[in-house]
Amino acid sequence: MRSEPRYTKRDAEQAIHKPGERLGNFLPEDAPSYEDILQCMRCGFCLPHCPTFAITNRERSSPRGRAQLAKAVAQGELELSEAVCYEGFFCLDCRACTTVCPAGVKVGPIMEHVRAQSRNEVHPLPPGWRQFREFLLEYMLPNHDRLEDSMLAARLYQRLGVQWMVRNSHLLELAPGTLGETAEKMDGMLPKLEPPLRNRVPELVKARGEKRGTVAYFIGCIMNLMYPEVSRATINTLAHQGFDVVIPKSAKCCGAPHLTEGDRETARQLGEHNVETFLRWDLDAIVTDCAGCGAALKEYEELLEGRMDERYLHEFRSRIRDVSEFLVGAGMRTEDLKPVDMTITYHDPCHLAHAQGIAKEPRQLIEAIPGLKLVEMFESNWCCGSGANWGLLHPEESEQVLDRKMANVVKTEADAVVTLNPGCHMQLAWGVRRSGLDQKAYHLMELVGRSLPEESVPPAS
Amino acid sequence: MPSRLSAQAIRELERRLGKEQVLHETEDLHTYGYDATPELKSLPDVVLFPRTAEEVAYVVEFANQNGLPLSPRGSGTGLSGGSIPAEGGVVAVMTRMNRILEIDEENLTATVEPGVITLDLASAVAARGLFYPPDPGSQKVSTIAGNVAENAGGLRGLKYGVTRDYVMALEAVLMDGSHLMTGGKAVKDVAGYSFRDLLVGSEGTLGIVTKVTVSLIPPPKAKKTMVAYFKDVATAGQAVSEIVAAKIIPATLEILDNTTINAIEDYVDIGLPREMQGLLLVEVDGHPAEVEEEAAEIHEVLQRVGADTIRIAQTDEEAEDLTAARRTALSALARVSPTTILEDSTVPRSELASTFNEIARLTKKYQLTVGTFGHAGDGNLHPTALTDERNTEEITRVHAFFSELYDHVLAVGGTVSGEHGIGMAKVGYLERQIGSGGVKVMRRIKNAFDPDGRLNPGKMFIPEDPGNGRA
Repeated sequence: MRSEPRYTKRDAEQAIHKPGERLGNFLPEDAPSYEDILQCMRCGFCLPHCPTFAITNRERSSPRGRAQLAKAVAQGELELSEAVCYEGFFCLDCRACTTVCPAGVKVGPIMEHVRAQSRNEVHPLPPGWRQFREFLLEYMLPNHDRLEDSMLAARLYQRLGVQWMVRNSHLLELAPGTLGETAEKMDGMLPKLEPPLRNRVPELVKARGEKRGTVAYFIGCIMNLMYPEVSRATINTLAHQGFDVVIPKSAKCCGAPHLTEGDRETARQLGEHNVETFLRWDLDAIVTDCAGCGAALKEYEELLEGRMDERYLHEFRSRIRDVSEFLVGAGMRTEDLKPVDMTITYHDPCHLAHAQGIAKEPRQLIEAIPGLKLVEMFESNWCCGSGANWGLLHPEESEQVLDRKMANVVKTEADAVVTLNPGCHMQLAWGVRRSGLDQKAYHLMELVGRSLPEESVPPAS
Repeated sequence: MPSRLSAQAIRELERRLGKEQVLHETEDLHTYGYDATPELKSLPDVVLFPRTAEEVAYVVEFANQNGLPLSPRGSGTGLSGGSIPAEGGVVAVMTRMNRILEIDEENLTATVEPGVITLDLASAVAARGLFYPPDPGSQKVSTIAGNVAENAGGLRGLKYGVTRDYVMALEAVLMDGSHLMTGGKAVKDVAGYSFRDLLVGSEGTLGIVTKVTVSLIPPPKAKKTMVAYFKDVATAGQAVSEIVAAKIIPATLEILDNTTINAIEDYVDIGLPREMQGLLLVEVDGHPAEVEEEAAEIHEVLQRVGADTIRIAQTDEEAEDLTAARRTALSALARVSPTTILEDSTVPRSELASTFNEIARLTKKYQLTVGTFGHAGDGNLHPTALTDERNTEEITRVHAFFSELYDHVLAVGGTVSGEHGIGMAKVGYLERQIGSGGVKVMRRIKNAFDPDGRLNPGKMFIPEDPGNGRA
């Protein structure tokens, strides 16, 4: 079977795409940007930085491979097939590739669009996942009250000690298949739950000392439900640093989980609501301690393009700050901080280091806290394998990515591994527990909170 | 287009190599049909990952039995299409043979499998206090056998040479299934034809490399970095010639033109003077005393030829700052437009100034945006056309630009490829450089190794050579 020469140079005429026109084999709605796809020059510089390529050594599971799959679909050479959609969901969206890309290609967002294009007929999700997803994305997440009520059961479950019983009887292991594994992992990952913070804080927490300005605290869903004590520390820190802190009760989910799952429409509705809510206040900054929220909020301009006045979007965007970015930018008042004696290593959340380009500030914040000593780990900005829902959809691969991270954590011999994102926090805590390590996992703001001389918001009784 | 192999053939491959080492889904074929060369794409029928020399021999046997073309591939970072399966068939990806087998400190050699990443080799020997100098731009990604196949260069070429200068021994599987061993750890070896030298730079057309032994050297003890700006690029070219004429061989002697300087400023804003027409980055390394002396001499030369500004790094941090522009050059240019066509025209050092003038003339003539940077000390320039593959009319002008530029390059005694290779991208140019007689001899050598023309066909020269480059 001597093959015909298959070397045909693409007829570039075919590739001309006019705005508004259907892009190759992509569906009309929410197709990725052709400009973004074409920007990839296939140099391959991303390959050594991609966690999924490191696991598979398979080009289609690399950033370059994914961009080229999207290009083939855009040019009509490839269907929007199950494998293409699979790669959309298998991408961690960690954005490590964008950090090293000479041409600035954003494969993560291209894959978010591929997820939005995915349909059950082509790419069926695991049994029950779609219903679970719709319930969570469309019913629960847009509404803080529902979310908080639903967590009541989980809190009771912990308080009553059922958790201990379940763990020790390996009840969860008996549940069949992936769902059982997922459930066991979720159980293992849950922190000790405290009541959500949102209804425990006033809408305005006054600045201490000489006032330096007014900021809003964007309370993330996961922070509020899983780590309310960290959120409390963040608010206390902002107040201690001389800022009035506004915590708008009507703020909603940032939309990141929706973008991750490809539900761009709900994300846009949440985005519009949040922009309107926050711009009602006269704010110096909108501060978040969740890297995932921060990244999503900073991308509202792209998400809401054409839906809202671009001046509002620009004004909103210009105020979004990660808490480390904000505190370091404002200059920390450190005179009355108490020492927190601990040797820590810092894990860069992907959505902070790669999606927002913030790596210096967290380290400067650590340096500002008396007693904290930083020991750098190897590959500190390599993903921990959490990736929002990724760890649940790909439990085996998630463990592999986590193993690499934990090996680097262990080598530092630090007392604790510290990060700035709830997803990473949970994953690292799980990694520590699973490996039976003595090290602890913290959100950096929890340690900053410990250094404060007094608290504006008291702990839950 | 799905694989043209039968389900039975795929099953047989999976049985012999393991399921994980065989890829044949359409999406996989799409992602092994390119490398870093713009515009080129051609799909294979199956992608195989051999893990031992024996498995490589089996892959060769399979291709022969099924009458399929066979193209070896590393990480796919090549810039001439060397690893693209031009006629489909089998792509043999070597990245899963990636063990460093030995670092021999007595003989100063390292022996590795073909898929070892270049930088991993360099780091492993550096940990033993040794130095592997070749540093192609893609060293974090590229494989050592890919470097051998393309005879890859890099920034240190002038003083330390290129990949060829470090290859001591090779093992390869030939198309008749035999295992060839050539060269060894002996520093001198004149026994018969040097097959080793023939395989280096053969672009995967003569055999599939399964083991590489490279030589190592002690690393330099000190380094000094400096940067000079010039009001016209011809003076920068003259500075390069005069530095070498002063009998100093810098480790790095890199040049950036005005378009590149401005692209960098647009991208990162590091305070480069936008009005300057040329930037030279010079690094000397070696014994500390010698380094100081050479740096002073270079400073003198730069002043004499009329550099506008000269900056010498006093600390490591300052050195980092000075090299930032060069490190950012490609990124900055790549962001300007969707398609980046990077060439590697190379001339004798004394012709740098005339070549820069010719690039300027042709850029104007063909109304293009071209940024040029490169290894000035080697006369190796990377004129980079910033274009858009969708604009066919402009792409035609880009090809005409390069074609005419190569007239000049060849007229002054240069080469159509300094370090990227001929591959698919420059098949037409080769004959212009070495003549039809030269191509005939190369074909005869190719026939001796691969009489069926099955190994990496469509590279370097093709049977029905259209004769005018890419188009």
